[in-house]
Amino acid sequence: MVAVTAAPADAAAPVGRRRGPRPPALLVLAGLAVAALTLLPLAFVAYEAVQTGWAEASRLIFRQRTADLLWNTVRLTAGAVALSLALGVAAAWLVERSDLPGRRLWTVLLVAPLAVPSFVNAFGWISIAPGLDGYAGAVTITTLSYFPLVFLPAAAALRGLDPGLEESAYSLGLGRWAGFVRVVLPQLRPALLGGALLVSLHLLSEFGALALLRYPTFTTAIYDQFQSSFNSSAATMLAGVLVLLCLALLLADLGLRGRSRYARIGGGAPRPVARAPLGPARWPVLAGLAALVVLALGVPIGSIVRWLLAGSSTGVDTHRLLQAAGTSLSLGAVAALVTVVLAIPAAWLAVRHRGRVSALLEGSTYISSALPGIVVALALVTISIRAATPLYQTAPLLIAGYAILFIPRAVVTARAALAQAPPVLDSVARSLGEGTIGTLRRVTLPLIAPGLGAGAALVFLAVVTELTATLLLSPLGTRTLATEFWNQSSSLAYGAAAPYAALLVALSAPATYLLTRQARRGTA
Amino acid sequence: MTALTLSGVTKAFGSTQVLRGVDLHVPARTLTAVLGPSGCGKTTLLRLVAGFDDPDSGTIALGGETVAGAGRPRPPRHRRVGYVPQEGALFPHLSVAANVGFGLPRKQRSAERVAELLGLVGLSPALAGRHPHELSGGQQQRVALARALAPRPSIVLLDEPFSSLDAALRESTRRAVADALVAAETTAVLVTHDQAEALSLADQVAVMRNGRLVQLAAPETVYGSPTDAGVAGFVGEAVLLPASVCDGHATCELGSLAVRGAVAGSISGPARILLRPEQLVLSAAGSGGVEARVRDVSYYGHDASVRLELIPGGTEVLARVAGHDRPRPGSLVCLSVVGEALAYPGDAAPAEVILTPTPG
Amino acid sequence: MRWRGTTVAAVVGAAVLSLAAGCGLGSGSKTELVVYNAQHEDLVATMLKGFAKDTGIDVTLRNGSDFELANQIVQEGSASPADVFLTENSPAMTLVSDKGLFAPLDEDTMAHVPAAYVSSKKDWIGFAGRSTVLAYNTQSVPKAQLPASIMDLADPRWKGQVGIAPSGADFQAIVSAVVAVEGQSKAQEWLKGLESNAKIYRNNVAILSAVNAGEIRTGIIYHYYWYQDQAESGANSKNVQLEFFGHQDPGAFLSTSGAGVLKSSKHAEDAQKLVNYLTGKQGQQALVDSKALEYPLGNGVAANPKLKPLSELDPPKVDIGSLNGPQVVSMMQQAGLL
Repeated sequence: MVAVTAAPADAAAPVGRRRGPRPPALLVLAGLAVAALTLLPLAFVAYEAVQTGWAEASRLIFRQRTADLLWNTVRLTAGAVALSLALGVAAAWLVERSDLPGRRLWTVLLVAPLAVPSFVNAFGWISIAPGLDGYAGAVTITTLSYFPLVFLPAAAALRGLDPGLEESAYSLGLGRWAGFVRVVLPQLRPALLGGALLVSLHLLSEFGALALLRYPTFTTAIYDQFQSSFNSSAATMLAGVLVLLCLALLLADLGLRGRSRYARIGGGAPRPVARAPLGPARWPVLAGLAALVVLALGVPIGSIVRWLLAGSSTGVDTHRLLQAAGTSLSLGAVAALVTVVLAIPAAWLAVRHRGRVSALLEGSTYISSALPGIVVALALVTISIRAATPLYQTAPLLIAGYAILFIPRAVVTARAALAQAPPVLDSVARSLGEGTIGTLRRVTLPLIAPGLGAGAALVFLAVVTELTATLLLSPLGTRTLATEFWNQSSSLAYGAAAPYAALLVALSAPATYLLTRQARRGTA
Repeated sequence: MTALTLSGVTKAFGSTQVLRGVDLHVPARTLTAVLGPSGCGKTTLLRLVAGFDDPDSGTIALGGETVAGAGRPRPPRHRRVGYVPQEGALFPHLSVAANVGFGLPRKQRSAERVAELLGLVGLSPALAGRHPHELSGGQQQRVALARALAPRPSIVLLDEPFSSLDAALRESTRRAVADALVAAETTAVLVTHDQAEALSLADQVAVMRNGRLVQLAAPETVYGSPTDAGVAGFVGEAVLLPASVCDGHATCELGSLAVRGAVAGSISGPARILLRPEQLVLSAAGSGGVEARVRDVSYYGHDASVRLELIPGGTEVLARVAGHDRPRPGSLVCLSVVGEALAYPGDAAPAEVILTPTPG
Repeated sequence: MRWRGTTVAAVVGAAVLSLAAGCGLGSGSKTELVVYNAQHEDLVATMLKGFAKDTGIDVTLRNGSDFELANQIVQEGSASPADVFLTENSPAMTLVSDKGLFAPLDEDTMAHVPAAYVSSKKDWIGFAGRSTVLAYNTQSVPKAQLPASIMDLADPRWKGQVGIAPSGADFQAIVSAVVAVEGQSKAQEWLKGLESNAKIYRNNVAILSAVNAGEIRTGIIYHYYWYQDQAESGANSKNVQLEFFGHQDPGAFLSTSGAGVLKSSKHAEDAQKLVNYLTGKQGQQALVDSKALEYPLGNGVAANPKLKPLSELDPPKVDIGSLNGPQVVSMMQQAGLL
């Protein structure tokens, strides 16, 4: 069949995409201001490093303590990531590719540990088994807290794989195990890399759990330095090393991911997957999964319940509890509002005016998403002391800290929200007689509101359960659920700490529920 | 009175010159199709008319009033221009009724007016309560048109409105849109790359190439007397042959043919002549005319496209025959030409067959 | 329409009234003192209960830790809202005093306690004391094996046997006493030895609990943690006994909780009254009667009979105003403890 196409080309994809109109100057300025804010901690650490000078910096960094901390941090990360990968992939495969009974329930149970903040998990364990400190305890407990971060993307990736690839492998003679290793696993690489990165970054920022477990890492050391001698270069130098570790992780992720492009073959497998029968292996597998869930979920929740009932040390001070809850909720609400508003310029530029400014913004939010809370808090405290004293120890500074920490999440949801309101709708509205304000009011805002709301909810929940930055930045006398929990559990007043822990878990549950709904949608 | 006049409109984006001086007159209550390949600037043209962007130079006048090019351009909301984008772009969060009534003042957003507009585009008023995602592609396009027509615009601009529809829906939606535009007595400008669409729907066709308007005429004129070989090839299949013109006759490989065309009289000597494939008639071998061998046959049911190789020389030509009359590949046939050829001045350009994708 | 107007008026009226009530009553009639407090909150609240009743002065406590508050006061400088600063240990007082931020104390306030507990600059005063002790597990450490001096704990014999809380101001105060008594180089050696011997805990409560559980054999804490636990249920201390070093050993260091009036205070007179009260008979007796079980420092006030008498402690003589916090931190960094 002769089908030579000459002049009339396919017009569906216009050749030579033109640039749209230039972004309004105000938007660019706003975007640059947000980028500057998110890069502030990084700039601070770099500036301090330069100011301290090589001699002093090397004295502070190159000593045994730092080496110990580095060793602790690296081996914890390596161990926990390896374990999380193993558990996460195994669980994902069982749920998505085998005939495991009760798959939907297992999906919920395997995601639920995310509802228990890691420091509450550590509390749950250490309050019933105080001997569980040191490396073994730290690896175990952090893995139990974070393996869902691998399970979720691995399960989603498995769902999206075309089973045709595996079937071709089997038809070519590969056994099930070989097929899994040589065909499935490589396709899971982007998801696994993403999950491993998330777990590593969480571990590098982890403070509460590791302090409770008496496992010293950079974050606990920075906190101790800060408590003792405040505004010291020692804390900042340690923070510098920590930041370098985080950036190294980001680079490694980019490097490992960049080379391979694994396009999703269609949005979801077109035909249902033939699940592998477990046979008699079903019972040990179920027992294993049950054990995992008991350890990850049952122990912390059971421990909280147990201490709630016992309430041995001092009865529950309800006034204080309510006050702390009120503070947490109001901080969460304000921070959510501020963060979403700050995220809008970045998202707007990224979706509507792709260019150098939007690339810069994306890059800066990507980098700042890797910075630990303690580094951000330390930077803000020091900057406010040196350059903006009126802000020191005030609520706005704390809100700024939250904003810097959680803008990346808000930007992601804001971008998705803005994609719901493509510019062509604006054009149509204008042709129908609406001005800029009218278009925003009648078309853009109604369409992006749900997405923005989801982003605000995410930030709200993150703020309510945030511990590390709050400890450093909150004004004297400010009590949040997390800080009150921290005070009580530090003095081993477990009964008094339990109500706070319970509230923290209760407040994290909605977001986790949303995650499980998303995850369950795929499980047949 | 022209409803729309563009004079010398230019537009560049960065270093790319998209429109290079476009002159266009659109009479009131007619449908003009702007036909051209992608990248020729037709969407930009539409956006300039709507007011989403401003021309670098030249003027745009709507209904006699200059809206761009002289002083401050009038913003879109004051131009009373209806706009139907490629994907319809209905507001997803509003019902069909709310979409249709969007451009109307609150008082006029009545169920009757909505039903009236839906009827205009051939849709049942029962659809008023539905949401865009519950409609088919064709229905969405029609609602988009109803929405654009609601505030009684002076002109409606349609940006490739049928290209996102699958073939089955395309024809019925085209008819519905054309009928609605006639019934509403609105001026319309339709941008498309599909020449069948342009030829069948429009009162006048504007052929664009590289940011310029190459021909503005009725469909028959554009098809029958294209201004150059490029236009000829764009609006239909073409067979171009080198020839020698003398006294209104062209001598070429297919024999001596009568020639017409605006420049027929003044052309003498080497030229390129244009024939449409339907002008080539096949008969049994040896029945007179030029001999040719059938290379292959593409059968479309209602007709067939036959590629032939002329026996002496091997020049390739294309003929269109009725479906039931098609020859077998490899057989020998005789060719003769019906009607006149068009001549274009040209030096020794080789013979060329221009095909277009099968119209939908 | 009508009722809407009335409702709005009522709401506005109520708001205005309550605002007026809040403001009017608050201001003018009563002075309010702001106390930056690093001592245990319940102890200070108990001690000051009588003060508020007697003088009618309202006291607001802003709680934090020694150095957190000291550094904040230094940062705030003359703009600080603090009227009085109370600490758990003395190095934090020294920090603030060295910046010249304290006002001189009233003469009769200073007469309340022995001269050793008043700073040499006469700008702050001790109002409670706590003795350094070695808590040891009775089941794994026979009395004969106990060290004679706190300096012995750097000995390799004690590897893995000592619990300390280096990030806390309490331990840092003890280190500063070691520096004052033994000199910097010996103190640095001691810290080095501790670094290899000691297990790190977050605070004294954790150390006591760990000694009790047998996780470690000994721990350096302050006395009152043990006594408080014993008074409650004994859950964290039934296997623990305290060893008081005595003999003016650095390990017998009596740390002083200090009180000082800020120069920047806008209610200087009332602030002086508060410090006076804290160190006077009433405040000190309130301390003795409380559950805190720390040592009172006031003249003629006897400590809680449960405690080992103050006269028997034999602590080393140190100038409380000379205990240097930042130097200690730097030494501990060098030793790898921080």
